[in-house]
Formats: sequence, structure tokens, C-alpha cells
Amino acid sequence: MLKILIPTLLLIPTSWLAKAKWLWPTTLLHSFIMTLFSLAWLKNTSETNWSTLNPYIATDPLSSPLLTLTCWLLPLMILASQDHLAQDPLVRQRIYITLLVTLQLSLIMAFAATELTMFYVMFETTLIPTLILITRWGNQMERLNAGTYFLFYTLATSLPLLITLLALQNKTGTLSLLIIQLLGPIPISPSVNIIWWTTSLLAFLVKMPLYGVHLWLPKAHVEAPIAGSMSLAAVLLKLGGYGMMRMMLILSPLAKELCYPFIILALWGVLMTSSICLRQTDLKSLIAYSSVSHMVLVAAAILIQTPWGLTGALILMIAHGLTSSALFCLPNTNYERTHSRTMILTRGSQMILPLMATWWLITCLANLALPPLPNLMGELIIISALLGWSTWTIIFTGAGALITRTYSLYMYLMTQRGPVPNHMISMNPSTSREHLLLTLHLLPLLLLVFKPTTIWGSAY
Amino acid sequence: MSAWRRLHVKVRRAHGLFTSRRVTEQYTWMYGPSTLGQNLSTGKPLRNDFFKELEAQLAAMRKKAADALPGSSWSPFDINPNLPPERADIVIIGGGVMGWSIAYWLKQKERVREGVKVIVVERDLTYSQASTVLSAGGIRQQFSLPENIHLSLASADFMRNINEHLGVLNEDPVDLQFNQSGYLFLASEEVAHIMEENYSTQRQVGAKVTLLSPTQLKEKFPWINTDGVALASYGLENEGWFDPWSLLNAFRRKAMSMGVIQCCGEVTDFKYTVSMMTSPGGDPVVYKRINSVKVQMPKGLEYQMVECAIVVNAAGAFSGKLAEMLGISSNPKDTIAGTPVPVEPRKRYIYVVHCPDGPGLDTPFLIDYSGMYFRREGLGGNYITGASPKEADEPDTSNLEVDHQFFEDSVWPRLAYRVPAFEKLKVTSAWAGFYDYNTFDQNGIIGDHPVINNMYFATGFSGHGLQQSPAAGRAVAELILDGNFKTLDMRGLGFRRIMAQEPILERNIL
Repeated sequence: MLKILIPTLLLIPTSWLAKAKWLWPTTLLHSFIMTLFSLAWLKNTSETNWSTLNPYIATDPLSSPLLTLTCWLLPLMILASQDHLAQDPLVRQRIYITLLVTLQLSLIMAFAATELTMFYVMFETTLIPTLILITRWGNQMERLNAGTYFLFYTLATSLPLLITLLALQNKTGTLSLLIIQLLGPIPISPSVNIIWWTTSLLAFLVKMPLYGVHLWLPKAHVEAPIAGSMSLAAVLLKLGGYGMMRMMLILSPLAKELCYPFIILALWGVLMTSSICLRQTDLKSLIAYSSVSHMVLVAAAILIQTPWGLTGALILMIAHGLTSSALFCLPNTNYERTHSRTMILTRGSQMILPLMATWWLITCLANLALPPLPNLMGELIIISALLGWSTWTIIFTGAGALITRTYSLYMYLMTQRGPVPNHMISMNPSTSREHLLLTLHLLPLLLLVFKPTTIWGSAY
Repeated sequence: MSAWRRLHVKVRRAHGLFTSRRVTEQYTWMYGPSTLGQNLSTGKPLRNDFFKELEAQLAAMRKKAADALPGSSWSPFDINPNLPPERADIVIIGGGVMGWSIAYWLKQKERVREGVKVIVVERDLTYSQASTVLSAGGIRQQFSLPENIHLSLASADFMRNINEHLGVLNEDPVDLQFNQSGYLFLASEEVAHIMEENYSTQRQVGAKVTLLSPTQLKEKFPWINTDGVALASYGLENEGWFDPWSLLNAFRRKAMSMGVIQCCGEVTDFKYTVSMMTSPGGDPVVYKRINSVKVQMPKGLEYQMVECAIVVNAAGAFSGKLAEMLGISSNPKDTIAGTPVPVEPRKRYIYVVHCPDGPGLDTPFLIDYSGMYFRREGLGGNYITGASPKEADEPDTSNLEVDHQFFEDSVWPRLAYRVPAFEKLKVTSAWAGFYDYNTFDQNGIIGDHPVINNMYFATGFSGHGLQQSPAAGRAVAELILDGNFKTLDMRGLGFRRIMAQEPILERNIL
């Protein structure tokens, strides 16, 4: 683990000491090498599931795919930000990279934490660089509002989580995940068990997000710069899912009745957020709501606490991370050329940038869960698990899946087909940087078709 | 019988609560059934309008709540609340009738609410120098170019049904005071054949025009002196004059109610990227793309760079100067990139005269072959008159001062010759306004620029911009949102003719 953490930490001095001409290539290469090292985590040969074990940090088949995804995303974020930061002064570019690296560090430590306290501290730490990214480098006045929503939604629900963790420490004497998974039901007095259950999970439900507390997500995603959007969509939402999966081990007997309202909210959320996507005018907003609709499905799957549910949730989280991040990169390529994100004004790109249209097609197909991509596998497993929990859920998940496909195709057709507007006739051609960025997003997704067992976690 | 009628009226009024009503019907519901159209009462409305007061009451409640809560309303971000937003999709430069017409049609054609973010930048909200409000306000279909006839015909249709298009809920209906008294063109012997050809074009396109011989002319308008007149062309429908200020305000009010942001500021600079490419023939081509527009606040140093995707140049008489900011003049004159936008301001005078024994209420907008024109203004025996000066003595355009000698020398003699009653008149007032004069061929330029990729033009109408503004606005909106013209084909009025140096001139009789 240290062989990843120390280089990540030292990427900060690298970004400050590198010469201006070599800043971006150096940080890019450095983060790529770390990514290659991090792929080693995916191999798990331990009998107890925990590997690279030390008192504070460990990986297991639940966290290793998320860790690899996190490490994979850093070079992609650096690659995506190069263009729009080119006109910023050098110091600001260095600060930007430092923020990305700090975010990366806290995320690695969050996913790899064995103690829930460390997980909580790192969970909160990820808020700071993200907030700075959104409010400083976002494009519009509304970014201040977005930052406020983002910060306060998470803080308001994670402070009760802190209290819960302290109470848990008092009751059980430990907060280590390795021990907690072996404990029996926690003796909580019945008058507070509902509060206990809710406070433990609410922070993660807000982070996921659950429909009803999802308001921060469209704002934060739309106003963030591209790297902010990518890391938010790909990794930060998964923090919520991961936290839920860990916490629910402790909360088991209570979950059977108390999860009802949240599952209903989640199922309703699939329908509602997918429908909102059909009426969006701003591309990034459409993709943000699409993220919400996938993640509420994950939330529902985790809440029902079956092996298939957890497996499906993890597969969908990884697949959605890669797809959503790619989906944010694509309108960003348009935005850098036309300075507009509205769908009406950026149409007919297939005639002008045909290769980019290929990436649009593959990414939209991934978003609509085309077989044999892991998006479909995750969704299918989740839908089956929910069906086992209750037959009526098929109405929601089926209708939601239908609308998902509709808006994904709508997004593709609106941006790529149609008459080419006059003002888009002479645009700069796609750079190889953009092609590389999208290949690196989609290649893992395609490779995962062949070995989904790497990302299906420890429930099997 | 009357009891039945009263019952009928009551039922109709009650039904009105459950059906959606048009603006004029709602108006009569409040003010009583007997005041359709123009409301002549000056007192307060009979009933309370719940919704009009609702907005005000909600705002008052919010203010009260904000005052009651602790804390101050200081915010570090509102430096100047008049600054435009940092980015917009479409920036329309020029808040005259053309700019607001384009803004209205853009919002009308977006398929979902808030589909595009539109800003209209206008540097003088009092419109003291704008061509729109200083115009004589005439509308005619008597052109020789089919495009012009189509534009005016469509605009006249728009203005006849203006409340359907521009009516805003709970606001007063729009009243353009559209006097459809028609235009009367008088042709001398030499140019009568041109008038006949124009007449057949106009009838073909669908304008309702008729030709009159001198005797018929004398019969219809006995106050005309028909000496020298060989033929006259009279518009029977959709021609006349209207109030330009009402049209401008109607467009503005409706567009703002649909979400267009108005910004008071002046565009002083553009930030654009240049890409050098080579054409298939091997010649270098330089494309410019506007990235952001610098909007400077009036009477101050503050400015805001508005990042935008599309810029619409509807700056009227000052469009040429605006396009110069994009560095067109730095290129050699005979290349595509170096062709300037040929729009410059030209000053024209309008004199208001009072003549109690003048022509009368059915006076059309008369245009004589000598270049003089006049029309009736109001019901009190006032007339508006003017004339086009010769090319050689164009007035100075640095200010809007009126030259009264011009009236004495050029306008009154011709006026008195044509209408003998005007020998005894009194000039009560006068003003001057700018034409956005297209020095190339005096017809509008509608379309995108070949070299500046994201700038669209709707300017250079040379005196007939106001009358063509609704249809021209729709044409530009179709170009931007649909990619090409849908209802009227205005490709003939595009920039291509200026590049190819092929003027499309109006065959006027004067």
C-alpha cells in the first residue's frame, strides 16, 4: 500500500518543482505508473479476503476495484484538464494538480481504511479539494450556490454519523472493520435503534445520492470543471455506496423493516430522474441526472442486503464510474470548441467530428446498458435481486430501464445527428489527447466484459 | 328577450373561470363587458386582479421575512448587479426592434423552456439615437425584390395579430395603432414602366396593390395635383404606418417574460480565436471564432467578458463599426476576409407640419417621384414629411441636429407642388434619425458571416428595417436554431452577394 501512497504524496512536490514545460507530461506519466502498480490490488489470494494488511490499511475484493478505479481516474483527470487550464497562470495550474492529488490521497485512504474513524475522516477530507475545485474553477456564477449545496448536504448528514461512530466505539470497544464483521448484533436500546440506523446510513445515502436528497448532485456536477465532474461522478458517489456496504454489516437485524422507505424512494427515484433527463436542455445536467438514476438503483440493491444485490451494486458502481466519467468528457470537448452546453446549439457533430461520434456512440450505448458490457450485468443482477425481494419492483426497474435507454439514445441523436448549425462549420478537429482520454475510459469497460469476476466483490 | 340575453352573458362569464381566455377577454372580464378593445375609463378596475397583486405581495412577504431575520444582506459577489452574466449562449448586440424581435423568436422556437440563454445588450435604454423609435413607422409591400415583399407581408400579418403573438398574461394588450391607410407611389412618364413591372411582381407575390391612372387618382384623392404623374400605385391592405415604440416595447416585454436577459452596456471588444486553414484550391483562409464579448457598463470602467456561443449583430446604424472590432479591416480589401460590413449611418430628417386645410383622414403615405414623402399623423391636421437628399449632399452624421433649411429648400416646394393645400402650413417640430444604410445595395443583410463563424447579421435595412423586423427576426432565429430558413427563403439577402460583389438593388422609381 505504501508503494502507492508515498508516490501519490510525492506527486505534490513534483507538481510544484517541475518545470513549466514538463508539468503536465510529468504528472501524467507519474500518475500512469502509479495506476499500473495499483492494478496489482485486483488479484486477491487471501483466505480471509483481506490483503495488503496492516493495522490501518487493507484491501479486500469490495474495496480493491474501487481503489483501482480511483487510481485509474487520476491520469484521466489530468489529461482532461490540460486544455482549459492552459491559459491559467502557472501557479494556478500547480495548485489545481495539487488539489487533484490531495483528493486522490484521501480517496485511496478512505477506500483502504480498516478503521471506521479513518474512513470517516477521509470521507470528510474529500470534501475540501472538491469544494475548492468547484467554486474556484467552475464556469458560472451558480457555482457558489452549487458548492454550498454540496458542502452542507454532506456535512449535515455526516455529523450524526460521527456521533454514531463514537457511540459504536463505546458500545463495542472497536471500530475496526475486521473485527466488526465478526461481532454479533450490537446491543442498542430499542428506543434509539431507528435513530441509530438512520444516522449511520444517511450520510452515505446523501452521498450516493438517494432520490429526495439528490439536489446537490446536478448543481455540483454541472458547475464543476471537467476534472471535478469526473471525480465526482466516478468516485465520490461510490464512497457513499462503499460506506453503506460496510456499515450495513453492523446494522443487520434492524435493516429488514427500516430499509422499506428508502428502497421505495430509490425505486421511485429511478423513474423520476430518468424522466427528468428527457426534458433537460443542458447536456451536463442530463448526464448528472443520469448518474443519479443509476446510483439510486445501486442504493436500492445495497439496502436489500442479499449477496446478489451487493454483487450487482459493485459491478454497476464500477461500470457507471467509467461510463459517467466518459460521458462528462464528451460534452466538455464540445464546450471547449463552442462555449455552449445547450443541446439545441450543438447538433449534428457527426458530420464535423466523425471519430468523436464513435466515442459518443459507444459511451451512450454503455450508458443504456447494452449487453455484454458490465453496465448491463450489474443492472440485471440488481433487478433480479430486487425481484426476489418483491415482485412489484419490476414495474419500477423495468420502466426506469426503458426510460434510461430512451434518454441515452435521445442524447446521442440530438448531439450527433441532425442538421449542422452554421456556426459549427469550422471547428478545430479532435485532438489525440481527447481520443486517448476516451479510449482509456472505454478500454477497461470493454475488457471487463471478459472477466467480470475482478469487480464483483466478496459476496460471491 | 333581454332576460335571456342577460342569462347568456352571465353563463358566458361564469364559464370563463374554467377555460383559458385570451388576453383581451380577460381584460373585459375585469373592466366590464362593454369595453372591448380600447379601454376608455380612467378609474381603477372594477375587481381585484389576484394574480397581478400576487407577485407584489409575495415579494413584499419575502422582503419582510428577510428583514426580520438576523444578518445583513451584504454579499461579496454583487459588485454591480447590472453586469451581464458571465456566460450566455446567444448575445444579441443592439436592443432595437430587430434585436428584440430576434430574441423573441429565439425564445419562441426553443423547444423546451430555458433551451437557450439569450442576452440583449443595448447601450442606451432611453433609445435617444436608435433608428427604431425615430422612424416614420411606415410599412409597405411595394418593393421590387420578392424577398422584401415577403418580409413585409409576413410582418404585416404578424402585426395584425400582434396580441396572439406578443400578448403577455395579466398585462395590457398591445396596441400598435396600425393605420392601414396604404402607400401611394406617384410615377412620372420616364419611370412608369418600372412601376408597372414592380406592380406585377408585387401582385404575383401576394401584395394587395392597385395601379391608378391620373384621372382615377384625382377622383380618389381630389387634393392631389396630378401634373407630371403618369401612373400611381396604391396599396389597399397591409400597408400604412404604426407606432414603432409600441412594437419595440411589445417585443421587449414578451421576450423578457420568456426569459431573455436585458443588459445595459456597450460592446467594446471581442475576444476571438483565429484559425488559419487552406482551401482546397490552396489559398490560405483565415477563420475567426468569437469566444467572448466585452460588455462595458455605461459611464464607467467596469466591464464583463460574456462567454458566448453565438453573437448576433443587430446594432443598426453602428453595425459596420461593430464588425470592425473583429479586425476585418486589417486584411486586404479584395479578399473574402477583408470585405467590410457595408453598413453606415445616414441621417434623415422628419418634419411635423400642421395644416388645418390639408388632405384629410384618408390620406395615404404618399411618396412622390421627386423623393418627397408625407403622411398623416394623428387626427388633428398634423402631417409628417421629409425627403431623401441627393448622394452629393448627405448630411453630417456626427449628431442628430435638424437642418431646417433643408425643409425650406427641398421639401416644401415639392410638397406644395404636389398638394396645393400645403402651401399654407406651419412646421411644429422636427427630428432626425439614422438609417442603417447599406452602402452596397440598400437592402438588408440577413445571415451568417463567411469568415467569422459564429456571428449572424440582421442589419443594413436602409430605412425599411422596422417594417421587416418581425419576419427578419424569425428568419434569423430559424437560421440559428434550425440551421436554415424554414418559412421564408432569405438566402438572397445573405452575405454571399457582398462577397461576390453582386448587388441586388431595388428598382425604385425615385
